[in-house]
Amino acid sequence: MTDTKKLSELDYGEKGVIKKINRSLKDQLLGRGIREGKTIRMDTKQPINGPVVITIDRSTTSLGLNLAKDIFVEVNNGDTSNGSS
Amino acid sequence: MNLDPEERWRLIDKVARETVEYGTERSTIRSVLAELTVKPLTGIPFALAVLYGFWGFFDAFAGFFTDGFFVPLFDDHWLPWIQEAFPLKGSWLYYILVGDPEAINSFEALGMLTSGFFVAIGVVLPAIVAFYLVITILEDSGYMPRLAVLVDTVLHKIGLHGFAIVPMILSLGCNVPGVASTRTLETKKQRFMMMILLSVFIPCGAQLGVMLSLIPEYFGYIMLYLVTGFFVFGWLLNKLIPGRSPEIITDVPPLRTPTLTNVGRKLWVKVKGFFTNAIPFVLLGVGLVNLLYLGGVISWIANSLEPLFTGWFGIPKETVAPLIAGFLRKDLAVAQLSAIDMSGFQLITSVVIISIYFPCIATFSMIIKEGRKSGGVIKVLSGSLLTLATVVFLWGGLLHLIGILLGVT
Amino acid sequence: MAILLMGHPNVGKSAVFNRLTGANITESNYPGTTVDFTEGYTYIDGKEYKVIDVPGTFSTDPKDEAEKVALDILAEHDDPIVVVVIDSTKIERGLYLAFEIMERGYRTLIALNMWDDAEKHDLRIDVVRLEEILRVPVVPTVAISGKGISTLVEKVPAANRVDIEDLREKVTNL
Ligand SMILES: Nc1nc2c(ncn2[C@@H]2O[C@H](COP(=O)(O)OP(=O)(O)OP(=O)(O)O)[C@@H](O)[C@H]2O)c(=O)[nH]1
Ligand SMILES: [Mg+2]
Repeated sequence: MTDTKKLSELDYGEKGVIKKINRSLKDQLLGRGIREGKTIRMDTKQPINGPVVITIDRSTTSLGLNLAKDIFVEVNNGDTSNGSS
Repeated sequence: MNLDPEERWRLIDKVARETVEYGTERSTIRSVLAELTVKPLTGIPFALAVLYGFWGFFDAFAGFFTDGFFVPLFDDHWLPWIQEAFPLKGSWLYYILVGDPEAINSFEALGMLTSGFFVAIGVVLPAIVAFYLVITILEDSGYMPRLAVLVDTVLHKIGLHGFAIVPMILSLGCNVPGVASTRTLETKKQRFMMMILLSVFIPCGAQLGVMLSLIPEYFGYIMLYLVTGFFVFGWLLNKLIPGRSPEIITDVPPLRTPTLTNVGRKLWVKVKGFFTNAIPFVLLGVGLVNLLYLGGVISWIANSLEPLFTGWFGIPKETVAPLIAGFLRKDLAVAQLSAIDMSGFQLITSVVIISIYFPCIATFSMIIKEGRKSGGVIKVLSGSLLTLATVVFLWGGLLHLIGILLGVT
Repeated sequence: MAILLMGHPNVGKSAVFNRLTGANITESNYPGTTVDFTEGYTYIDGKEYKVIDVPGTFSTDPKDEAEKVALDILAEHDDPIVVVVIDSTKIERGLYLAFEIMERGYRTLIALNMWDDAEKHDLRIDVVRLEEILRVPVVPTVAISGKGISTLVEKVPAANRVDIEDLREKVTNL
């Protein structure tokens, strides 16, 4: 079962693969290793439109919620390995 | 030759597949704690507990050394001894170096060798040692970025983002590195706002130490008024200043146990800096104010500014002397208030005015230096002076009004 | 001759700098500790090198004032040796910056710092193979204990320019 959501809509602990990152944000995230094809895990979401905290490749990053709306993730909560996609 | 980003990543993925092997990651107490500290349900109570715990430590540590050791040392031994032993009682030199020959406590003597040494070594030194110990542990444990995530929502409301907590915490030690660290904020708008808000509303560790020792009973009110000011003017500046307020993007590093060597080394650097950069300025400040008193300059300024002081702010005109000292050191300025006769509410107002009327010279030079990098000195300078004047006038005046309404002036 | 310590924020550049020069600049566990550069000196084979600790940067396209300082330093120096400091547990994104720097034609050397963390997290990196592929020296280090720093120093003179065309071909055929 797969289904594509905005990163901002993922729930705690959900995992998936990044399908698309909008142009405006893409360049800024590339250097941080956040890019299409990577497995991403939602660690937490802060209340009242607060930022999300995600883990990719064992590196944890916090992103503002509006930025997270520009990232599209194919949800896949089965156990995906940590390696590169 | 430059690769395009997609290609670069394609190559790196291949290199990694060839050379990197991911074993199984076990979850440890540390990784569990790392998650709990950013989850809102557990993270917020944890943050409050941490802040409260650190505050308690600061209070106890500084109190132990200042009240338990330095106050008796200076008041019972050093002060009476030097008042007697120093020759030339009644001369200008005695006045500058020893101060009031009748004073019975070291805050009120106002001489370079009495109040100067007492404030610098007896009050401020223990305070900054305690403070830097706390700040260093926050820094080295990796907790600061987690705090940034938790406070992001609140700071977002005033056009900043969570990472602005880093310059704020550093400023609580000393405003100078606080201003420098605004370089990690993305836009000129955010940097300018942050520099102003920090230097106006965040008292440094030295000033906090003196406040805590001299007027612990008013400490909470003063901090509440300053923090409220931070958000009120932050909100206003956010509306008024053009520019972008991008959202937070930050790495959240793993938690680490601070090492004794690194904590010790950082503390040592700070204490050394205090002896070479701060103590001379405290002494200089005491001497300068005494000289100006002797030359009649203080009473002249006090008389000309009397309408502003008593009329608008509701504080005694003598407060002018500490305010002059405050250009050099805020800790000294607060200490000098002790010799002026005034009500509790006036004392609160005076401390607030001392905090917000102007950054100390060291901080101000840093703002000018940083201004050069973000939008030009003239723009930053005129912008900050204008903001400063507005803040002092409004926020200081408002406090007087509150006093009148409460009937406590 | 100048050695620039470059890398992402919080990878241990300042820790490496302190080890190399005996300085005491601030190391803290959050990104963006160093916002200005610091210079120090070290001797390698009797030759004096100027070592510069650079603010952390995520790419060669600056996003804030601290990153701008970093890239200005890179541009200001004439043919420096760049030590790219990488957090071994985040090796891929570290290599991304290393590639950007190698593409610009700088003599490069890679320090795989936080090697202790990588071991703790059961992450194994084949250093010899990595060196073979990239053709620049790669040295595992633990800056806080000093492990690997002397090897890093020894290898500084061997820092290498990379022919990206060659590298691309080699990697593509892996
Ligand atoms: N376990 C471990 N910790 C390290 C190592 N090197 C550095 N650290 C710690 O990692 C944190 C970051 O080190 P810094 O030297 O401040 O990092 P930096 O690269 O200068 O960071 P910025 O100035 O923010 O760019 C500090 O808490 C160091 O004590 C290492 O090899 N192993
Ligand atoms: Mg550093």
